[in-house]
Amino acid sequence: MKKTVAILLSILLITALFTGCGAGPKQTVTLKVWGSQEDQAMLTKMVDEFKAANKGKSYDITFGVVSEADAKTKVLEDPSAAADVFAFANDQIKDLVNAGALYEITRNKEKITSENMEGSIEASTVDGKLYAYPETADNGYFMYYDKSVFSADDVKSLDKMLEVANAKGKKVFMDVSNGWYIASFFLGAGGTLTVGEDGNQKCDFNNDNGVKAGEAIKAFTADPAFLTGDDAVLKGGIGGEIAAGVSGTWNAEDIKSILGDNYAATKLPTFTLGSEQVQMGSFAGYKLVGISSQTKFPVDAMDLGEWLTNEKNQITRFETRAMGPSNKKAASSDAVKANVALAALAEQNQFATSQKDVLGTYWAPAEAFGTAMEAKDYSKPIKEMLDTMVSQIEGK
Amino acid sequence: MQYIDYVTLPWYKKIVVRLTKAAKNLGHNFVALISKIGKFLISAFTGIVGGIKYFFSTFWKGDIRTKLSYLFMGSGCLLRGQIVRGLAFLALQMFYIVYMVSFGWGQLKLFPTLGTATKKEIWDEVNQIYLYEQGDNSMLILLFSVLTIAISIVMFYLYFRNIRMAYENQQLLKAGKKLNTIVDDAREFLDKKLHVTFLSLPTLGVIFFTALPLIFMILIAFTNYDKNHQPPGSLFTWVGLENFRNILSGRDVLATTFKGVLAWTIIWAIFATFSNYILGMLLALMINKKGIKFKSMWRTIFVITIAVPQFVTLLLMSRLLDDRGAVNILLGYLGMGPVKFLTDAAIARVTVIVVNIWVGVPYTMLITTGILMNIPAELYESARIDGAGPYKTFTKITLPYMLFVTTPYLITQFVSNINNFNVIFLLSGGNPLALDYYQAGKTDLLVTWLYKLTVNYQDYNLASTIGIMIFVISAAASLIVYNSSSSAKKEGMFQ
Amino acid sequence: MRMGMKKRGSVANTIIYIILSVLSVLWILPILWLVITSFRAELGAWTPYILPKEYTINNYTRLFTDTALFNYPRWFMNTLVVAVFSCIITTILNLMTSYTLSRLRFKARKAILNIGLILGMFPGFMAMIAVYFLLKAIGLTQSLVALVLVYSAGAGLSYYIAKGFFDTIPKSLDEAATIDGATQNMVFWKVILPLSKPIVIYSTLMAFMAPWLDFIFVSVIMKDNYNNYTVALGLWQMLTRENIYQYFTQFCAGAVLISIPITLLFIKMQKYYVEGVTAGGVKG
Repeated sequence: MKKTVAILLSILLITALFTGCGAGPKQTVTLKVWGSQEDQAMLTKMVDEFKAANKGKSYDITFGVVSEADAKTKVLEDPSAAADVFAFANDQIKDLVNAGALYEITRNKEKITSENMEGSIEASTVDGKLYAYPETADNGYFMYYDKSVFSADDVKSLDKMLEVANAKGKKVFMDVSNGWYIASFFLGAGGTLTVGEDGNQKCDFNNDNGVKAGEAIKAFTADPAFLTGDDAVLKGGIGGEIAAGVSGTWNAEDIKSILGDNYAATKLPTFTLGSEQVQMGSFAGYKLVGISSQTKFPVDAMDLGEWLTNEKNQITRFETRAMGPSNKKAASSDAVKANVALAALAEQNQFATSQKDVLGTYWAPAEAFGTAMEAKDYSKPIKEMLDTMVSQIEGK
Repeated sequence: MQYIDYVTLPWYKKIVVRLTKAAKNLGHNFVALISKIGKFLISAFTGIVGGIKYFFSTFWKGDIRTKLSYLFMGSGCLLRGQIVRGLAFLALQMFYIVYMVSFGWGQLKLFPTLGTATKKEIWDEVNQIYLYEQGDNSMLILLFSVLTIAISIVMFYLYFRNIRMAYENQQLLKAGKKLNTIVDDAREFLDKKLHVTFLSLPTLGVIFFTALPLIFMILIAFTNYDKNHQPPGSLFTWVGLENFRNILSGRDVLATTFKGVLAWTIIWAIFATFSNYILGMLLALMINKKGIKFKSMWRTIFVITIAVPQFVTLLLMSRLLDDRGAVNILLGYLGMGPVKFLTDAAIARVTVIVVNIWVGVPYTMLITTGILMNIPAELYESARIDGAGPYKTFTKITLPYMLFVTTPYLITQFVSNINNFNVIFLLSGGNPLALDYYQAGKTDLLVTWLYKLTVNYQDYNLASTIGIMIFVISAAASLIVYNSSSSAKKEGMFQ
Repeated sequence: MRMGMKKRGSVANTIIYIILSVLSVLWILPILWLVITSFRAELGAWTPYILPKEYTINNYTRLFTDTALFNYPRWFMNTLVVAVFSCIITTILNLMTSYTLSRLRFKARKAILNIGLILGMFPGFMAMIAVYFLLKAIGLTQSLVALVLVYSAGAGLSYYIAKGFFDTIPKSLDEAATIDGATQNMVFWKVILPLSKPIVIYSTLMAFMAPWLDFIFVSVIMKDNYNNYTVALGLWQMLTRENIYQYFTQFCAGAVLISIPITLLFIKMQKYYVEGVTAGGVKG
C-alpha cells in the first residue's frame, strides 16, 4: 500500500513539475528540520528568515531534536521518517549514502563547491557526487592549555610538556583509549587509512613507522604526568591538576570560563618518533547538512539546506554557538580568526587527515589498543598488538 | 524420597542425592522433550490429514447453505438465522480480501527475493535535480510478509471454523435442536468459554508485539542484512546458514569472540545468580532474627535502592568507580593507589558482579523474607532440641529448605541474568575492549555484544544469529527444568 | 545456663547489628552521593574532590523553570500518564491471563504455558525495530498511546508470578460459587479478585514502575518528538557529550525527584510485594 502510494505520489509530483507548478493554487510546502537541542533557537531564527526571504511560497516548517552525532542511527532506523533537512557529522556520510538516505545535491553545486573549503567539500562528496552542504569545519581537536603552567614554547613538543608538567606536579590530558585521539600518533607518523576495492578498510598502522608510533604511545601513557579520561575529567580537572588537554571546540566555552585569563589553545605538539621529532596528526571533521532522499519537496528542501549553510548563517552559527565556519569568506573574518579555539583548530588542520575514508570497523580495535596501553598491558610486543589491531580494522 | 528423609541425610549424601536426581531428571526430561516434540509433530500431521478429509467429505454431505459457506464465509450461520456471527465471518472475509489485494499480496510476491528494485533517478532539467522513484525495501518486505503470512494462517483457521460451524448447524437443525442465539453465545463466552474471552486480548498483544517481531528477527539471521546491505539504498537477500557458519567456525575473530563472550556470559550468570541468592538470604535472616530491633527500618534502607531507577544508580556507580572517580579519590586519601575498577579486564569482571550484588540483593532479601517465614517451625524446634547452633541450623535446615523450594525461582533468575542488559551496558558498557574480540569487550555479555552490533555497526544478521543462540540455550534449559520442577508438577496440589 | 544462652544471643545480635550497619552504609552511600550531587553548585560530571564546595537548590528549580531545552515537568507528566494507563491495562490483562492459565482447564492450556515461557526469553530489544514498523503501519508512532500499547502488550507473558499466586487459592471456593449459579466470569471478579490484593498490588507496582525506567524502547518509538519523551529518556539526553557538563547536576536532581514517589510507593506497598511474590514466584 505504502509503495503504491509512494509511486503514485512521485508520478503526481513529476507531472506537477512538468506541467509547471506556478499555474496551480499556492501549495504549502511542509518540511522538517533536525538539529541538536542546543541549536533549536538558532535554527528557528534562521528558518524564519528563510520564510521571509521567500515570501512567494507558503511554508510549514517544523523542527525535531536529533543531534549531529545521533543522525545516522535515527535515519537508518527508518529513513522514511527522517527529517527533510538534517545535520550530521561527516564520518556518517558513507553509511548514509550506502543506505540510500541522502539526496544528491545538484542545485547550485558550483556555487557551493567554490564557496566552501576544499576539505569540507571533499568530506561531503562520495564517489564524485556531492551529498551534503558543509555546515561547520570544527569537528576536530587540538590542545587547550593553562598559560600559568606552560609557556608558548613549552607546548611545541610533548617531551618538553611532560618534563615541565612533572616538575610542577601537573598532568597532560589525552584520551588515548579512543580511536579518534589515538590516531594522532599514527597519522603523525605517516600512517594512512583508506578504503580498499572490496569496500573494507585498509590500514598501515603496523608498518615500521606505525610500530615506532606505538612505542611513542607506550612511552606517553607510561609517563607519570599522563592522564586519561573523558570530557568530564578534563573539565573537572583543568586549571587544577590538569595543565593541558586534547579536546575539541565543543568544550571551548566551558574551559574558557574555568581557566579565565590563563585560557590558551594551540595545535597538538610534536612527539618523538624513533629519534626524530614529528608533528602529531589529527582527524578533521565537519558537520554537514543533508537532504533526505525521501523528501516530498526536494527543491525546497535543498533551498533550505543551502540557506542554513550559507555565509550569513555560518557567521550566525559562529556568533551564537562559536562554531567554526566551513565557508571560506566566513572563516577568514577577523572575529573568527580572533577566536582562540578556532585559531588553534585551523593551525592543527594543516596536519589533519579527512575522516571520510574511516569506516566503522576502525574505532573499536583502535580503542582496544589504547586501552591496553593505558592499562600498561605489555604482555605482547607492540608489533604483535598492532598486527592484531590492523587485521581487526581491516575486517579479516 | 520424602522431604523429611532428605533433610535427615548428612550433607555429602544430600549433594549426591541432588546430583543424581538432577542428572536423572536431565536425561529423562531431555528424552521427554524430544518425544513431546515428536508426538506434537505426529498429531499435527494426523490433524492436517483429518482436516483435509473433513473438508471434502463435509462439502459432499453439506446442504446448499453449508456448501455456500465454502465460498462466502458465514453463509452457514447467516442463512440459518445467526445474523451477527454470520456477518462477522463475512466481514472478516471481506477485510482479508481487501487486505490481500491492496497490500498483502504485493509484499508476499517479493518475499522470495526480498525485493530487487532499487531507487531510480530521473534528471529534472528545470530544477536541476534528480527525481527519485523509491524502490523496494527488503526489511519492510520481510516484516510485512511475516505479518501477511500470520494473518493468512489465522484466516485459514477461521475459514475452517466457518465450515465446521456451518456443518454443525446443519446437523443440529436436522436433529431438531435449536441453534445458539447471540445471547446464548455471550453467556457461553462468560462461562464455559471464559478462557477464550480472557486470553484473546493478551494473546493478540503477544502475537503482534512479541511473536511477529520475533519471527521477523529469526528470519533476519538467514539474510545478509549487515552494514553493507542497508535498505532502501542497497537491498539484502537470503543467504541460508552462512551467518551460523561464520559465527561458529568461519571467520576466526567471530568464532573467538563468540566463544569468549559466551563463556563469560555463563560465568557471569552463575555468579550473579548465586551471589545474590545467598547474600540476599543471609541478609533476610539477619534482619528477621529474633531480638533484632527496627526490622522495618533495616528493610526500608535496602528497599530504597530498588526505587531509584537502575539506569541512574548504575551510571552513578560507573562514575564512582571510574579510574579517577570518587572511590579512587577516597582510596587516595587513605594512601592507596587507584584501583582500575572498570578498566582492567579481570578487576572489571569482579566489579560488575559486586555491583550486581548491590543492585540485586534487596530484591532477594524481600523475596526470601516471605519464604523464610514459611519454614515449618517444628523443623527449627527439633533442631534446637538436638542442640544445633545457628551455623548448623542454617546449613542443615534453612539452606536445603530454601534450595528445595526456590529452584524455579533460581532458574528464572539464571535466565534473566544471561540476558542482563542493564547492569553491563550502563556500568561498564562491555569495556575494557579487547584486541582479539570483534567489536566486543571483556565484560560484554552476548546481549550487550548483540546490541552493539545492531546499534553501532548495523550488523543485524550477526546480532540476530547470536540472539537465536542465546534463545536456544536458555529456552532448552528452562523448558527442561520448568517441566520437571516441583512447581509445575504440583500445581494442582492446593486445589 | 539460661544466662549463658542469653549472653551468647546478645553477642550474636551485636555482631549482626554491626554487620547490618556496615551494609546499610554501603547500600545508602551511592544514593546519598546522588542526593548530594543534586545539590552541588559546581557544574560537571566529575570533580577532583568528593564533597561539593558549594550547595544550591538551583538544580531543582531549574528543572521546572528552565524548560526550553529540557522540559522536565512535561516529561514527568507524560511518564505519569503512560504509567497510569499502562499499569491499569497491564494489571487487568495480566490477572486475566494468569487466572485463566491457573484455574480454567482447556485443551491448549499446557501448550500456551510452554509457548509463553519460551517467548519471554528472546532478547527483547532485538524486536524493537519490528515493533516500531508495525506501530507505524497502524499510524501510532511517536505518540504516548504507542508507548502504553507497547508496555501493556507484553502483559500476557508475565503471568508466572500471578499464576503461582492463583494456584494457591483453594479450588473449593470456585466450586461453591459455581453451585450457587455463578458463571466463571463472576467467580473471577466476585470471588477470586477480592482475595488477591497482594498480587494485584504486586502487578500494579511492577507495571507502574516500568515506564520510569525504560529509555531504549522510548527512544526508538519517539524519535525526534521531544514533547512526548518520558522522564527516563529525557534524563538520558542530559548526558550527551554536549550537555553533560552543564546538566549533570540537574540530571541528579531529576533522578532524585523520580525516585521519591517510587520509594514512597515501595515502602508503603512492601508488605504486599512480599506476599505477592512469595506466594506466586516460589513455592514447592
